[in-house]
Amino acid sequence: MNMQKILIVEDDEKLRNELEIFLNHNGYQAYSLKKFDDTIYHILEQKPDLLLLDINLPNVDGEYVCKEIRKQSNMPIIIITSRDNELDELISINYGADHYITKPFNIQILLAKIASLLKRTSNKACFQEKLDCEQFILDANKSMILKNEKEIELTKNEFRILKYLVQNRQKIVSREEIMEYLWDSESFIDDNTLTVNVTRLRNKLAELDLKELLETKRGQGYILK
Amino acid sequence: MLLKEFLKDKLLTIFLLLFGTITIEILLAIYPFGKILKIYVPIAILGLYAISLMVEYVVKKRFYEKIELILNGLDEKYLIAELIQSPHFMEGKILKEILEQTDKSMLENVNQYKYLTEDYKDYIELWIHEIKIPIATTKLIIENNKSTITKNIDEELNRVEDYVEQALFYARSNTVEKDYYIKKVMVKDMVNECIKKNKNVLIQEKISLNLHDLDVFVYTDSKWLVFILNQIIQNSVKYKKDKNAEIEIEAKQGKENVILLIHDNGIGIKKGEITRVFEKGFTGTNGRLSHKKSTGIGLYLCQKLCQKLSIAIELNSVENEGTEVRLVFPKGSYMEL
Repeated sequence: MNMQKILIVEDDEKLRNELEIFLNHNGYQAYSLKKFDDTIYHILEQKPDLLLLDINLPNVDGEYVCKEIRKQSNMPIIIITSRDNELDELISINYGADHYITKPFNIQILLAKIASLLKRTSNKACFQEKLDCEQFILDANKSMILKNEKEIELTKNEFRILKYLVQNRQKIVSREEIMEYLWDSESFIDDNTLTVNVTRLRNKLAELDLKELLETKRGQGYILK
Repeated sequence: MLLKEFLKDKLLTIFLLLFGTITIEILLAIYPFGKILKIYVPIAILGLYAISLMVEYVVKKRFYEKIELILNGLDEKYLIAELIQSPHFMEGKILKEILEQTDKSMLENVNQYKYLTEDYKDYIELWIHEIKIPIATTKLIIENNKSTITKNIDEELNRVEDYVEQALFYARSNTVEKDYYIKKVMVKDMVNECIKKNKNVLIQEKISLNLHDLDVFVYTDSKWLVFILNQIIQNSVKYKKDKNAEIEIEAKQGKENVILLIHDNGIGIKKGEITRVFEKGFTGTNGRLSHKKSTGIGLYLCQKLCQKLSIAIELNSVENEGTEVRLVFPKGSYMEL
């Protein structure tokens, strides 16, 4: 599968590098412009799948860049800025940006916005709707676990917990980490609800004879083997 | 302007005229002049002067009384010079001139400070935008190098971010210019954003959330509202009780308004202190508890920002039972732009 290209246009070198590392970790192919002359030309030439554009650029105004690119391309654009007010946001959207995100950004939200934009714009089915996890398959569309011919439906929270555990396989994941992940997708569950959800998830795994996969590490969290 | 006082002012002239008239009368008595003259002279001198005094009294009384009337009706009293009609007598003209000049000089002075505050605010905004870049970078570094140590740094960084945010809004709250942008926003989105912002501390402190009926729209500036909610929620966290802490947030649709309720079951506020919580720098008994580190700025700022956005903010609390903050958004038809 082709990795999707994200072009970062940001003049702060350190921020740009860290952003690159972060996006590369998360399954994208990120790269950035190092020079800011002829910015518009270089962006168009690169043909990224998505553009992360800082609004305060040397030599040229980010809003202008956004407007010019929009004239020639409909690549998704996410504006990153430290100007945090409603009016700037509105102006950026008027110039054709798809999203507006303020520094310092919530990293999960940035990822979610990138994912949703790419999903909307790309024709290629780049998104794995079915996640192959060796012993079972996680179906994101139907929110189900599949094993051989058996299917078991998961609730939204159970699905998210399992997905997070799959993403961090073989690693101990703390309860707090799981909760933060759930909270980022606006499911504000408390400690008790998490316990209940994990127990249910374990029971469902047991139905598929996968009970041993999910282990509790006392005082540390959970691990998916 | 009282006649008595007016006459008192003219006492010297009156006395001199009386003295002059009496001397003339004495001279007239010594020399054999006609009787008519003896009567006419004092009447002419004193009578005519009395008439001129009366005219002057009426003119001045009318002028000063009008000024007083305008002055009482004015909110910004310094505008009085603009509203005085040009008087026809010298004293009045001098008075108007003096008022105009002092006003002008005062306005220049005020403008200078206005300019300084504006300038300072601009600097603060610029500074805040600059500081957000290293904060953003640090957050990414933390994300790229997850460990218990970086998690600790992240928590502290969140505090830095909160203080930076507070400074930004403090600067914004002090300017005369309109710095916000009203649009239709979903209360739920604002609340969720705020909860996500505070997820670390809420999860760590094991505070359960009960959010319901939040699918309502209000007209406001979303960034400002998130900031206000943030302050309120942070207070709920700060002054929570040790066990089973809960925050309940709900919205109620009224006919003329939307009420957003943020309710916690925390330690509450002493009865006598509730009215003072919006005062700048007020920390109260709770704020002085050694580990709370209250600055007395949060709620003060909330109220100030609410005022600008025409949101009514009210706080009720029962000690040891909890605190409830209500935000009342107007829903007049004029808001439907």
